[in-house]
Amino acid sequence: MSNSIVGRNAGGKLLEGTAKMMPTPVILLKEGTDSSQGVPQLISNINACQVIAEAVRTTLGPRGMDKLMVDGRGKATISNDGATILKLLDVVHPAAKTLVDIARSQDAEVGDGTTSVTLLAAEFLKQLKSYVEEGLHPQTIIRAFRTATNLAVSKIKEIAVPVKKGDKQDQRQLLEKCAATALNSKLIAGQKDFFSKMVVDAVLSLDELLSLKMIGIKKVNGGALEDSHLVSGVAFKKTFSYAGFEMQPKRYNNLKIAMLNVELELKAEKDNAEVRVKSVEEYQAIVDAEWTILYDKLEKICQSGVKVVLSKLPIGDVATQYFADRDLFCAGRVQEEDLKRTMMACGGSIQTSVTGLTDNVLGRCELFEEVQVGGERFNFFKGCPKARTCTIILRGGAEQFTEETERSLHDAIMIVRRAIKNDSVVAGGGAIEMELSKYLRDYSRTIPGKQQLLIGAYAKALEIIPRQLCDNAGFDATNILNKLRAKHAQGGMWYGVDINNEDIADNLAACVWEPSIVKINALTSASEAACLILSVDETIKNPRSSMDGPPGGGRGRGRGRPHAH
Amino acid sequence: MALHVPKAPGFAQMLKDGAKHYSGLEEAVYRNIRACKELSQTTRTAYGPNGMNKMVINHLEKLFVTNDAATILRELEVQHPAAKMIVMASHMQEQEVGDGTNFVLVFAGALLELAEELLRMGLSVSEVIEGYENACRKTLDIMSDCVCSSAKNLHDVKEATSLIRTAVMSKQYGNEDFLAGLIAQACVSIFPEAGSFNVDNVRVCKILGSGVTASTVLHGMVFKKEAEGDVTSVKDAKIAVFSCPFDCMVTETKGTVLINNAKELMDFSKGEEEMMEAQVKAIKDAGANLVVTGGKVADIALHYANKYKLMVVRLNSKWDLRRLCKTVGAVALPRMTAPTPDEMGHCDNVYLSEVGDTQVVIFKHEKEDGVISTVVIRGSTDNLMDDIERAIDDGVNSYKVLVRDKRLVPGAGAIEIELAKRITAYGESCPGLEQYAIKKFAEAFEAVPRSLAENSGVKGSELLSKMYSAHHEGNKNIGFDIEGEGPAVKDMLEAGILEPYLVKYWGVKLATNAAITVLRVDQIIMAKPAGGPKPPPQGKKDFDEDD
Repeated sequence: MSNSIVGRNAGGKLLEGTAKMMPTPVILLKEGTDSSQGVPQLISNINACQVIAEAVRTTLGPRGMDKLMVDGRGKATISNDGATILKLLDVVHPAAKTLVDIARSQDAEVGDGTTSVTLLAAEFLKQLKSYVEEGLHPQTIIRAFRTATNLAVSKIKEIAVPVKKGDKQDQRQLLEKCAATALNSKLIAGQKDFFSKMVVDAVLSLDELLSLKMIGIKKVNGGALEDSHLVSGVAFKKTFSYAGFEMQPKRYNNLKIAMLNVELELKAEKDNAEVRVKSVEEYQAIVDAEWTILYDKLEKICQSGVKVVLSKLPIGDVATQYFADRDLFCAGRVQEEDLKRTMMACGGSIQTSVTGLTDNVLGRCELFEEVQVGGERFNFFKGCPKARTCTIILRGGAEQFTEETERSLHDAIMIVRRAIKNDSVVAGGGAIEMELSKYLRDYSRTIPGKQQLLIGAYAKALEIIPRQLCDNAGFDATNILNKLRAKHAQGGMWYGVDINNEDIADNLAACVWEPSIVKINALTSASEAACLILSVDETIKNPRSSMDGPPGGGRGRGRGRPHAH
Repeated sequence: MALHVPKAPGFAQMLKDGAKHYSGLEEAVYRNIRACKELSQTTRTAYGPNGMNKMVINHLEKLFVTNDAATILRELEVQHPAAKMIVMASHMQEQEVGDGTNFVLVFAGALLELAEELLRMGLSVSEVIEGYENACRKTLDIMSDCVCSSAKNLHDVKEATSLIRTAVMSKQYGNEDFLAGLIAQACVSIFPEAGSFNVDNVRVCKILGSGVTASTVLHGMVFKKEAEGDVTSVKDAKIAVFSCPFDCMVTETKGTVLINNAKELMDFSKGEEEMMEAQVKAIKDAGANLVVTGGKVADIALHYANKYKLMVVRLNSKWDLRRLCKTVGAVALPRMTAPTPDEMGHCDNVYLSEVGDTQVVIFKHEKEDGVISTVVIRGSTDNLMDDIERAIDDGVNSYKVLVRDKRLVPGAGAIEIELAKRITAYGESCPGLEQYAIKKFAEAFEAVPRSLAENSGVKGSELLSKMYSAHHEGNKNIGFDIEGEGPAVKDMLEAGILEPYLVKYWGVKLATNAAITVLRVDQIIMAKPAGGPKPPPQGKKDFDEDD
């Protein structure tokens, strides 16, 4: 009866050791399952979230610092975008992952404010930690937080400044200011006026759907940031070309464009086709036929009267020379996205066959040219009839720099899009947070019970935004916050941190504006995340199943192999 | 068996070397009970509105944050054979009624815990079992007396909302009113005046971003897909559904195209193109303006679809395809042929839209009663949305249960205390030794309000005494008031916290059965686990299964 074998597979893990050794633990779950529970677990989750927030804390605001991250393959990224940083961090802690998720969600929903949302969620948890430690039931906290969030959101909606949509001039101004606020905290803050104009132009040129894909951002190393410009139309980098390309003209006026998904090369017509010939003549005929097929295609294209031929698939050297002879321009292996945008801009449609190249499937534009931009050559299509798309050509020194610029512009573009869809704004720079904080604090004093403390905690947590803004700028946060609290108590609703003068200022007047939707989303996500983390009291981690069990064990589980019998 | 060693006496010797064998109360029964107790302890803290969530990381490293007992158990991979029985009972509950899984666990755990006391007192296992069986029978008998009201009109969204609310409350406390409203809308819209209600017809689509309160209900379906071609919206769509790729037919047999001379080569690709055009044209001519396909979309086919202004949507899941067919009333065609008018489906509005930054294709029915409705869940994290999905599942299931049986019993521990009271009275009228078991059975019911109270930070005993006194005065609908301070009680009928009768009925039945099965075991014999590499965990899930 005595043995020390431990059952291993299904139904196995019943009892361990001999039956006579009395209280051996009953093994309920698979070996290797890790479980932890109770309040300490909750606290440790909160701590984990704090650590995550530490990582992005210093990036907030105009005076925030950037982070340099090197990933597993040695690729360096410089960014101060919360979502980007968290994505690259590759967090594995289950609770901390929640914060990464909300940053992603904020990115998806509004595109900016990712740092704020992470910071807010972490601060909520930090404020609550002491209550949890004191033994307050998490569900009570959650309920209070949901109430507080609802109050805060309705307050934002109430005080947000609506902008008249009718007035184009007004709207434009609003959008520019929103874009400028978004860019303020980025690397390119110095050029924010320049870029905010560009971003607004870009977004306004889109159609109703405001599809982000219709704005192309092309990066070209070299030159100064100010050399960046907006092309109302399409531009893309010169594609790989074959001999004969240089003979082609590089500029046309009023032209037609064929957009193809056809390989203009000598190729097998069908993969599994087989040719059986009996004589040399027949063989020659087959070879000729292949050429004829290609020439046929080329001829059809030429006959349709187009001047520029773009294709998703390669255009070979035969075709390139053929086109060069006939005063046509061609570009093969064009990125699908670029081709789609060309289609959106110039009309027509992408053709997978050359048989039906009628006028209505061809695109048109006023000017095509190939231009040298920095070290690269670009194909430009300008004066497009439908022009519901545009391209931003970004210039700048280092690669990481242009990449970060691209991310910043993406944020700004998203903000502008949101502002167009939801036309109300609030003042940034911590102003709205201070106002909400004051509102909630006042509210909390009118209710009895634990809720009062908790809503008070929520109000306090909101102050993290102006506080962090000050900290990052090197100001005395306590001092500034005191001033802000006083101002808000006196009714200065839109007073926030004035970064430039180490003081407070009416940020609505100072044109530090953010779309209200950004703040609403940030508050909802942050409190949802905080509630989610609070509501967990137990973590159970199953061993990762892999092909051959955990390492070191050889086969099986590494334990319980029969001993010498 | 194979290695029979006849020499030495003793049970262990008869088995293959390495096998284990346990018998008797100490070795088998108590240990089994302890395992089950431990399991129910884990899920017990997740019971009720104030229950806590668990973070479970399964063997694929996927994270679940939930207080849904069924999910926790599924991902836990319970190994203990006795505990597995309890898990099985809970799965049965999930399949039978879809809600109340935690109730089964808590109740079965309590039954076993009390059984241990009885056994230690000196009762035999069979007496305990007999007592439990008697008590269970009696409970199910008198449960119908406890019915306090019944649903009147399930087609009324308002009433449905109030009924679903209780089920949702235990999952998403704080959002229950909002979510119950959504679920009720979705359920009512797909519940035909005559006919049955199918849970599968309420779909859920999760899109990251915004907050829970931005979730909506839509009549029709939502897919996280982009339209393939240039056409992105169709009004009054005639839909042709193909289960095959939108491409020319390929031979299954490996074949080679044999080309004998130059002319054949030249005509070949032209012929292929023409054939494709003819096929697409035929579809268009049949009146269709939207093609849904279950497979790849060939470039050339898409080209002609664009030419003929057909919108093309690709759905990868066969299940999705089947559901869509049901929604729009189409027949999925297995090959690229022009559909007859009967085979085509119809939908009022199909369009590409952007939710957050996710592109979705929406099939929308204008009129109120579609065949399928979709709840679009928004939320800030994936885990949160998963949990809301589970809450919606529970809500929809409660609705289904109500369709089957409209009776309702008071929730929040009210019915449990009432049952406990009556079963105790019944037990006292029994002469035999099973009297003890019956009384313990009654006591087991107390576990429910006790966990509710303990999860809310209230002393269980205090609450129980309050509830008992109220019930003895004849107020049989008095339950635990979760919003009150301390051990407050209130009338659940007035508060509208009602549970479907069937949920409780099956819960009690399944829990008792499981407990009895565990008690019946007095010997455990385990063969030596076969050597060799472990077989892959469970059967691989069908890749089509999307939930």
